[in-house]
Amino acid sequence: MEDESHNNTLPNGFNTGSPESPFLKTSTTTTQHNKEQDRFLPIANVGRIMKKVIPPNGKISKDAKETVQECVSEFISFVTGEASDKCQREKRKTINGDDVIWAITTLGFEDYVEPLKTYLQKYKEIEGEKLSIPKQMRSEQRLQQHHNNYHDQNNQPFNGAYASSNLISQPPYVPTDQKFSLTFSPNSIQSQLRQQDQIDSVGHWYE
Amino acid sequence: MDHQGHGHGHGQNPSMGVVGNGPQFPYGSNPYQASHMTGSPGMVVASPGTIQSTGQPPSTQLGQHQLAYQHMHQQQQQQLRQRLQAFWANQYQEIEKVTDFKNHSLPLARIKKIMKADEDVRMISAEAPVIFARACEMFILELTLRSWNHTEENKRRTLQKNDIAAAITRTDIFDFLVDIVPREDLKDEVLASMPRGDVPVTGPPEALPYCYMPPQQVGAAGVMMGNKPVMDPYAQQTHPYNMAPQLWPQPPPPPEQQQSSPDQ
Repeated sequence: MEDESHNNTLPNGFNTGSPESPFLKTSTTTTQHNKEQDRFLPIANVGRIMKKVIPPNGKISKDAKETVQECVSEFISFVTGEASDKCQREKRKTINGDDVIWAITTLGFEDYVEPLKTYLQKYKEIEGEKLSIPKQMRSEQRLQQHHNNYHDQNNQPFNGAYASSNLISQPPYVPTDQKFSLTFSPNSIQSQLRQQDQIDSVGHWYE
Repeated sequence: MDHQGHGHGHGQNPSMGVVGNGPQFPYGSNPYQASHMTGSPGMVVASPGTIQSTGQPPSTQLGQHQLAYQHMHQQQQQQLRQRLQAFWANQYQEIEKVTDFKNHSLPLARIKKIMKADEDVRMISAEAPVIFARACEMFILELTLRSWNHTEENKRRTLQKNDIAAAITRTDIFDFLVDIVPREDLKDEVLASMPRGDVPVTGPPEALPYCYMPPQQVGAAGVMMGNKPVMDPYAQQTHPYNMAPQLWPQPPPPPEQQQSSPDQ
């Protein structure tokens, strides 16, 4: 079980390339950069979270942020592998929130369990309320989600820029930058929208 | 056999390490166990000192250094425990206040991509990345908190990569991360603990009145067994047990000491 989980992370670790990658036709540099970015959570987000638990006058080296980036991706793969194994044993195809919490419990992160159960319960309550609204409003909500995801996609290039400039402590979101990045990554945006469709479809069907 | 498996996995195969950790879950569920884990470096340090003591004469000055070190170490471990307790209490409070699930500190799409990197993963419900976003935030916070503890031990104000390596080696649930930190940073952790190992050189003769013998014996036994990672939890278990008597006038009875030794 664990060996299988570990082996499953090797392809990602070695960056052998994903068939889903929409950047195969672009330059080598761009392809490599995008794949590297996809493997980790944005360094700006990670850095902001890290700062919450160190003193105001404390500092974090870039090496440390990058190491935590790798650790978080490993954590996600580690937990996902455990949750996926459970779903397969139970002949289920979809990994849900309870599976994630179960895997976290199994892997020894007991302190995380109760907060996450509360969080999941709240999420279900709020999302449940949303699902009870009329169909038309739900459709509008989905469009809004696409819009939010759209902005989320544009944040990635900006985060990349921020990562290379340690002097900026709080990066502002400049609309012109977003428009600029849009022009240069139409494929990724299209891919992003498709993924959003998948998420909505799954969520809607099961809830 | 379990010990060998765990020892092997710890160094080369994280998943094996996880298997080895299975029997130890009861310890993991005990908050007291957390202090054991964080106390592990102290136990490791004591062992080399015990061995080297045969080649060096005892000294009152070194004894005082040892006492000072022990005191500082206890303070640091206590400080870390307090910070972790405050951290988890704060997590409960923050989650109780959550009303909006659209503003995440981490992008859900990226989390989903990382999940999908596993070829066995087929479909992911909308709630899974949401839960992961929160879990990852807690993971980053805990790892950073434990790492910062090491930064302070070294009198620095900048969190560095070797601080994260130290936190990973000191925490059982982070075993699956040992392959991520290069051995250079691990060596830094080992080297950083060596100088302190010289301090307890006068442990056996000078520390008798303070009941230091039991923990050192346990540490020595751990070394004789090959210093396998799986032995650390037992050493950690007895470490606080023997430390506690130091707060009281009377030392622990000899029979209990004998019982703790066979466990090694």
